[in-house]
Amino acid sequence: MLPRFEYYAPQDVLEACARKAAGAKPVAGGTDVFVNMHAGKEHAGKIVDLKGLEALRGQQLTAQGLDLGALTTHRDIEVREDIRGPYYALFQGCSQVGSVQIRCRATLGGNILNGAPSADSVGPLLVHGAQAVTIGPAGERRIPLEKFYKGFKQFDLLPEELLARIFLPLPPDCAGSAYFKYTRRGAMDLALMGVSAYVEVREGILEHVRVALTTAGPTPMRSYAAEEVLEGQAVSDALLTRAAEAAAAEGKPRSSWRSSAEFRTRLIHDVTVQVLHEAVRRAGLPPERKAKAIPQRLYPGQIGKEGPRDANG
Amino acid sequence: MQTVDIRVTVNGQDYEKTVDCCQTLLRFLREELFLTSVKEGCNEGECGACTVLVDGMPVNSCLVLAAELDGKSVLTAEGLAQDGRLHPLQEAFIEAGAIQCGYCTPGMLMSGIALLNRYPHPTREQIRKEMEGNLCRCTGYARIADAVLLAAEKINARGLYGENSEVLL
Amino acid sequence: MADRYRPCEKFQQEGREWDRLVVRRKDTTGGESVIGHTQIRKDALEKVTGAAQYGADMNLAGQLYGAVAHSPHPHARIKAVRTDKARAVPGVRAVITGADFPEPYGQFIADQPIIALDKVRYQGEPVAAVAADTERAAREAAALVEVDYELLPVVNTIEESMKNETLLHEDWSRYECSSVCFPVQGTNIGDQFHLKKGDVEKGFAEADLVVESSFRCGQLQHTLIETHTATAMANPYTQEIQVWTPNQSPFGIRGLMAKIFGVPAEKVRLTMTHIGGAFGGKYEAKCEPIAIALSLKAGGRPVKLTYDRQEEFAATVCRSTVQYHIKTGVKKDGTITAQQVTGYWDAGAYVTTNPRVDYNAGFAAHGPYKIPNAQVDTYVCMTNRTLGTAYRGFGVTEAATLHEHQMDIVARKLGMDPLALRLHNCLHDGDTGITGEIISTCAVEECLRAAAKNVDWDSIPNRWTDEEGNLCGKGIACFNKLTGTPSTTSCIVKMNENGSIYIWSASREMGQGVTTALPQFAAESLHMDLDKISVTPVDTSMTPYDKTTTSSRSTFHSGNAVLEACADIKRQLCRLAAIHWGCQTGDVAYTGEGFIQDARNPERRIHINDVGRSGILHEQDPVIAIGRYGTSDLFDPPPVDGRQSRRPTVMWMIGAQAAVVKVNPVTGRVKVVKMGAAHDVGKAINPTGCLQQIEGAIVMGLGHALMEEMIYEDGNLRNGNMVDYKVPTFMDSDVETRITLVENGHPEGPFGVKGIGEPGLVPTAAAIAGAVCHACNTDFESLPIKPEHILFRKEVED
Repeated sequence: MLPRFEYYAPQDVLEACARKAAGAKPVAGGTDVFVNMHAGKEHAGKIVDLKGLEALRGQQLTAQGLDLGALTTHRDIEVREDIRGPYYALFQGCSQVGSVQIRCRATLGGNILNGAPSADSVGPLLVHGAQAVTIGPAGERRIPLEKFYKGFKQFDLLPEELLARIFLPLPPDCAGSAYFKYTRRGAMDLALMGVSAYVEVREGILEHVRVALTTAGPTPMRSYAAEEVLEGQAVSDALLTRAAEAAAAEGKPRSSWRSSAEFRTRLIHDVTVQVLHEAVRRAGLPPERKAKAIPQRLYPGQIGKEGPRDANG
Repeated sequence: MQTVDIRVTVNGQDYEKTVDCCQTLLRFLREELFLTSVKEGCNEGECGACTVLVDGMPVNSCLVLAAELDGKSVLTAEGLAQDGRLHPLQEAFIEAGAIQCGYCTPGMLMSGIALLNRYPHPTREQIRKEMEGNLCRCTGYARIADAVLLAAEKINARGLYGENSEVLL
Repeated sequence: MADRYRPCEKFQQEGREWDRLVVRRKDTTGGESVIGHTQIRKDALEKVTGAAQYGADMNLAGQLYGAVAHSPHPHARIKAVRTDKARAVPGVRAVITGADFPEPYGQFIADQPIIALDKVRYQGEPVAAVAADTERAAREAAALVEVDYELLPVVNTIEESMKNETLLHEDWSRYECSSVCFPVQGTNIGDQFHLKKGDVEKGFAEADLVVESSFRCGQLQHTLIETHTATAMANPYTQEIQVWTPNQSPFGIRGLMAKIFGVPAEKVRLTMTHIGGAFGGKYEAKCEPIAIALSLKAGGRPVKLTYDRQEEFAATVCRSTVQYHIKTGVKKDGTITAQQVTGYWDAGAYVTTNPRVDYNAGFAAHGPYKIPNAQVDTYVCMTNRTLGTAYRGFGVTEAATLHEHQMDIVARKLGMDPLALRLHNCLHDGDTGITGEIISTCAVEECLRAAAKNVDWDSIPNRWTDEEGNLCGKGIACFNKLTGTPSTTSCIVKMNENGSIYIWSASREMGQGVTTALPQFAAESLHMDLDKISVTPVDTSMTPYDKTTTSSRSTFHSGNAVLEACADIKRQLCRLAAIHWGCQTGDVAYTGEGFIQDARNPERRIHINDVGRSGILHEQDPVIAIGRYGTSDLFDPPPVDGRQSRRPTVMWMIGAQAAVVKVNPVTGRVKVVKMGAAHDVGKAINPTGCLQQIEGAIVMGLGHALMEEMIYEDGNLRNGNMVDYKVPTFMDSDVETRITLVENGHPEGPFGVKGIGEPGLVPTAAAIAGAVCHACNTDFESLPIKPEHILFRKEVED
């Protein structure tokens, strides 16, 4: 049962900003806020429902890139084939959040601002160079997503501001991206570990590489060390493995009852190798094939030589 | 605001109601409209037993406010049978043995209808993915997938897709 | 409307051609028209339309809503409970604390208060309860209950419990204890079980090899999609108590409630709603006594109490953790000479049903094997955790997992195929079981071979690496499970004025299909259309006694009762026809085709389906018959010292399952590729119903083997929600499953029936665990086997 609260559903964005500034809890899909309220972890006395705000709506794919309203649901991304091709990692992230019912409600803005280290859309957004666009009485601000995060559940967002839109530049045809979500069960699970990668491959050379780790620190994070290993280098198994080592060294996963840091660190390494392979592979696909969804899996055979492939004799 | 006035269509019936802002759609349907097919299982969007369609979209009604419903249309399992005849998916659940304790069944049906709207000829893989949000402890799921496949056959055989697609909402 | 639906094609195939293996027929030719054929469930239509009423769907005029204040601490002394703030909440009508109802209860030992009195023993234990006009007011008030606690050391594990430094129950002798519960004064041992056949030391001396291992099954929650709930109306003056509840043991709960509230049993009326999943989880009284207490306190107004999911995890029941240490003596050829099992249950804070779990598991602890020298010593250890109880198999699922793990280790040490070792030792008719019983109707070998065949056992090695680099393995497990004996049941079969039949039976429909199976017996016996026969709702004030719906006993016991009643129905109808026709009763016979026929004038006959309009019922004695079945006469009570018995149970259930798994060495994730099952159902009454039980159990068992566990840190439950307690989803269910229904007719079963409700689950986790151990070449030490265990495994060397 939800605790008592006052509810506002403004149509005007500045009114919503004012409500928020006055202490109302913004709600979009409600799939985090209401869960926390049911569980007694959230006690907001006032709620401002953002779903009526036109400024936060819509998805537009143009020659410049992808402009997403913060109210874009994960399902919106999952079912749009034109988005899937150029932004495959985002499709992978969004299509694995919760369940269909959750994805029909849960928004990208909510996924970011809930601030969970395991947010599935955020790693893919980071590697696609997403920019957050905020709105408030003083107008709009445009902030690279990694800078928008200021710490665990902390954002570069003033009390009177809302996250309005997210913009992702259009990748060139030679780009590929991938996300792998590691979970204990096949659905409705949180990422125990997630790795996202974006690469552009020009004549065998990696450019504009971005790697992001999920559930490896207090926020979803870029692995700059892995990117540095890869940037400007020729693709090789050894290179991708070195990048994975760098990512594993940079990640700071915690030990908890969910799993040990040791296990997560090992996953960062093994999953990064695979995700990089996948991103490179997708970079080589012709654009018309990039939208084809493939079931997500890790191929044990692809692991580097130091992998445990021979463990079974 | 503590309360909101809403006009909502539920299973084809129009209602004008004043609802508490903090009332969930789940409780609204169960306690105000007595549609008890909508089951409360977890209140955290994890079991799917409270799944209903809002404007054709499957949602966990435990995570939706009744106050949000103004102008919307809701379908629950009670609204599936028309004119004394079961919906093909309901028939298929019976005929394929997809029911045991039955508690998850209404939510499964609603997810099944949403998926048949998206995939008129679903594969087992698509069924598993689209119904991943509905937990069942009894059946092991396989016969629920059988039922959805059977329903797709029935619907296609009866020509219920296309012009008559409002049958499925 | 129901007769419009016919089984789909696959369903019909299952009726005719399901993979079955007939070992022995009892009272059946295989030519029956109703039993042995797949039938549409009787409860399907109401469940598919949303009409079926479950616990929380009950509402009474004027009802109040209950809410419970739970202890946040796992172990603490209660110094004071203050309820004034709670009472001040507008709309609150009653507040109760432990002091209001201090009488403790318990089926085996009365160790548990309805609401904690002097101390709390687990996190989530009720410390007060409130009834109010609205649920909101009730929950708000419950949150305002203030309790002063003095924290006590937390007993977290079996090991800590066995040290007896901190006692959960300081004085067992204060509690009223039944004759089948054996606590040890001054310790945390709430019960114990000892079985002794022959001399294990002598057996170990005769062995070529002695193998010892330990294995643990983790703590599980039933995770029923319907949480516990009860609506009670209890009048403090008339003492009439009525409860609407989705409980699986109406008469068990009735007796318990009568005792707790000091009223005669006949004053307690339990009206049963549909059940949204039980699996043993709705065997205990949870919401019922609190709702009754609140209603009494509120002057008799009805009170509805429904637990939310958090409460369901923290404050209801679970399956206990259990640790077995097994020592096996074996000859070089694989013959077992002796086996000794020592086990410890982490039973949680109160004894509840653990003695029965311990008892059933004790008889199954050695599996369906010939063991000349056998010993079992198990202990129920109290800890500050939630309460262990029955969970689909009453401890036998765990026992099977544990003894089958040991069999795999023995096989490896001997260099034997795991199936060959099992076949070499398995029981056959005429062998002596571990209680000295001469075994009969025991098709373990047939089940093992069929399960193996269902995964092509002979064509694959124990482990291999596939072309993608996955580690693959196979595993097999078998079991024997008893049904609770002695137990009794009864039913009333009543013909309505229109010739249709009501069966009054307290066997509860929990999804297992008993309300379809019982009419099938009647339809077969009477040669009547199945559509004309139905089971009435269960109400302890009207429905005749049945012990409980547990232990896979309903089709066996109630089926027998229904057949007895139907025989009487036939006699009564013949008499009425004779009166109607004006002939001698002895001249009228009930034919094999369902005709009531005048033997002297064969033209004069009425088919049972036409009885209603035939006129023979008109103003004649109503047709109503009683059926009874009990097993007290067959039972040889196993004495406490050694538990030797010629007949410890009326029915052993037997089965086997084999698994093929694929383990990804990069992620540590396990994919169950294939499951092969073979279960002796005696006689498949509703074949699809049998298959449904096994299919569902396999996915449940997959969860137990690989995903599910309740995780505690210092008495605090960390994963009490449905995200973090991971039951299998639709996405985890893609397992190629092949099932053989073995029919080895039971001499006492109706048409030879044996139970199949629990057995489907019993060998599943064992087979999967065996396959994963083989794939990884590792002896994992506990379930669930998690990716972390796999990635950081230590391979075995021998």
